[in-house]
Amino acid sequence: MLETYLPMLFIFVIALTIGAVMFFGGQLIGPKNPTPEKMMPFECGNDSQGTAGVRLNVKFYLTAILFVVFDIEVVFIYPWAALFKSLGWTGFATMLAFIAALLIALAYCWKKGALEWES
Amino acid sequence: MNAGNALFIVGALLCLVGALSTVIARSPIRAAMGLLITIIGIASLFLKLSAQFLAAIQIIVYAGAVVVLFVFVIMLIGADTSAGPPKSGGSVGSRIVAGGGMAVLSGLGLLLLARFDGQPVRFGPAAVGHGDVEAVGGLLFREAIIPFELATALLIVAVIGAIAVARSKARPRPAPPESHESKRLFHGPLHPRDAQRPLSKEPAE
Amino acid sequence: MTFDVVYGLSPLLVVALGALLLMLAEAFGKPNPQGLAPTGEVSDAGAGRAGELGMGAAVVLFVGAALSLGVWLAGPDNLVGLELTRPYLIWDRFTVFVCFTLCLGGGLSCLLAGGYLTEHEIDRAEFFPLVLFSTVGAMALAAAGELLTLFVALETMSLGVYALVGLRRTPRSSEAALKYFLLGSFAAALMLFGAALLYGATGRTDLAGIGQAIAAIGQGEGPGAAQVLIALVLVVVGLAFKVSAVPFHMWTPDAYEGAPTPATSYMAVAVKTAAFAVMVRVLLIAFGDERLTSWASGWPPVLATLAVASMTVANLVAGRQSSVKRMLAYSSIAHAGYALVAVVATIRSPAAEGSILFYLLTYTVSTAGAFGALILCGSRGKEAVSYEDLAGIAKRHPAAAMAFSLFLLSLAGVPPTAGFFGKLYVFQAAIDAELYVLTVVGLLNSLVGAYYYLRVIVFMYMREPAPGATLAVPMRSGYVASALVIAAVLVIALGVLPNVTLEWAAIATVGRS
Repeated sequence: MLETYLPMLFIFVIALTIGAVMFFGGQLIGPKNPTPEKMMPFECGNDSQGTAGVRLNVKFYLTAILFVVFDIEVVFIYPWAALFKSLGWTGFATMLAFIAALLIALAYCWKKGALEWES
Repeated sequence: MNAGNALFIVGALLCLVGALSTVIARSPIRAAMGLLITIIGIASLFLKLSAQFLAAIQIIVYAGAVVVLFVFVIMLIGADTSAGPPKSGGSVGSRIVAGGGMAVLSGLGLLLLARFDGQPVRFGPAAVGHGDVEAVGGLLFREAIIPFELATALLIVAVIGAIAVARSKARPRPAPPESHESKRLFHGPLHPRDAQRPLSKEPAE
Repeated sequence: MTFDVVYGLSPLLVVALGALLLMLAEAFGKPNPQGLAPTGEVSDAGAGRAGELGMGAAVVLFVGAALSLGVWLAGPDNLVGLELTRPYLIWDRFTVFVCFTLCLGGGLSCLLAGGYLTEHEIDRAEFFPLVLFSTVGAMALAAAGELLTLFVALETMSLGVYALVGLRRTPRSSEAALKYFLLGSFAAALMLFGAALLYGATGRTDLAGIGQAIAAIGQGEGPGAAQVLIALVLVVVGLAFKVSAVPFHMWTPDAYEGAPTPATSYMAVAVKTAAFAVMVRVLLIAFGDERLTSWASGWPPVLATLAVASMTVANLVAGRQSSVKRMLAYSSIAHAGYALVAVVATIRSPAAEGSILFYLLTYTVSTAGAFGALILCGSRGKEAVSYEDLAGIAKRHPAAAMAFSLFLLSLAGVPPTAGFFGKLYVFQAAIDAELYVLTVVGLLNSLVGAYYYLRVIVFMYMREPAPGATLAVPMRSGYVASALVIAAVLVIALGVLPNVTLEWAAIATVGRS
């Protein structure tokens, strides 16, 4: 049974190899000639300030969590779609209730302005 | 050792390494990456258990969305990668208590296992297609309809809760319409006869 | 048949549909400028409508309570087709009784919030959909007969409450929400781990099937016995966290204090009630094996320890609080201890389960009332929080002080209030079950507990406020007042005529499965 996934394993290994070769290959065989200017962190125009960790707006979080919620909705729809014919009307009604309720949730987000970037 | 066992060993190792680096890493971003490794490990364990659908979902939802969410939150808090967690000087005692408690609990767990001479429960081999999309869907939409519909409530609560907690600051209220008193005060009639006129028809200056 | 099923499940369905409608009403209604102070900020459609929305939510929940009553009278066993929901939802009289209590507690909290949010200008009308969905989760949790449903319901209930705690975005409130959320998720994860082990050991997810499988495992020899034991520990820890029993109570004082008071009231009544209901079901069905319910090798000694620790620690610490809200938080921990005594008693006394249901009902009305009275004593700009805030309030506002005293006496267990009979039946069941030590500890603790409840009354009636202190002025709100009237009537009614309700509670447990 697991043999089905052999191609996936190959892809995984190839991807890993390509990444590793690119990452370490440059380090190994590239010529190195460090000068002070080259060692500075590159930032267009100005000298860089502060650390890399910037405080992001809380809106990113809201967007992300809404994405997760509707992503999970898709996860439920996927097996339902695979079985659509055999489930018949009961299955249809089940999914209809699910989607209708989440549609209300979407309308709620919309009206509350959770989907707007500028408020 | 067959392919299945190899998969188990690789998956379990990934899980352990990922979980350890999640706990040990000083930088929160590295911890999140450790979590990502754990999740990939768990997905391969699901594959080994012939739960293909779950493995796919694990990658899509957890590796794809939840870890991204974690990274968002870490950036939100303002991850200062250069400084580790603040040194907590006075917490040695609580560390000893926590570590000791953990050790005692683990010891008790091991003792239990040893005492009961735990024969693992053996399930029969999984049926063909036991974990594919049709099987999971069938279970979800033929049997477990009630928990499925209940999940709707869970998702909606998550939406409302997120909006309630993270919604942007309240907008300032629109200014109340200017009252007649102030209008008269600043643009008031200069002549008594103007006082008879309605304000709205005042000539624009 | 269809009608019977819909009617049987109507309490759950009404609250769920009501929640969806209220959500739309909150988002799409027009803001109400009258409900805002001149300096107020308007941010969305829910602004300034806390009153109306609170009324709507309360009506939905009270309708849910009325329907529960109706279904109880009709008898879920007589409704054709209701057994189709098994094993996911076990819709019996036990469930319906708990649903009634949950709807009542939720409805009272919504009424309180209608007054509180308006008075304190907390522009957070999300409160009401959250409470309603949380109640849906709580009702499903009380009915859950299967691990999957149980977990989804538990999370639905908890997520709503986490958000409720953090609604007021002050640093204190956010800290409380964060603590509660982290510890709560941790406890839920432990419980999920326990559920996974149970499934591993038995191959079943329905509680009845798990119970049979555990019985078949035999005398701790067969495969899976160790897993079952570890699962039992993990599940008990998760549930003890939800009912906030010592030593899993650390989050309680902070979360209760940081949350807006109506949310505190909701947490104290609904979360605890649902958690106790599911605890009884899980322990008696899944872990109801003779060996696991025996005093020597099962859960009773563990729960008895939790009960003694909860009562003693909470009562001792509660007396030292300077904040009344925090004192009430510790009081709720102590009450969890009393109810745990009854849970332990279920192993030998058939009356114990009924006493739990009755106790939860009396606890719900008394606690919701006490928090309501605390809300009533404060108003915009000055919330009544500490004992000092309440000093001398009886002279200035006798009605508020009277109401508060009534609920405190009920919590202390003074006859003829509801709380007295709640405790009486719990201890009676404990004596029935020959748990004499537990009974004595419980009685002693009730005496200690009376000290800090009476201290509030002493402050209200016999102290003068410190000169120059800002006085807390009771608010005027029809919503809060009506919630208090309902709670007070129930406290007195349950205190004067406890028999009928107790009988119903006892009948509710007869057919429990």
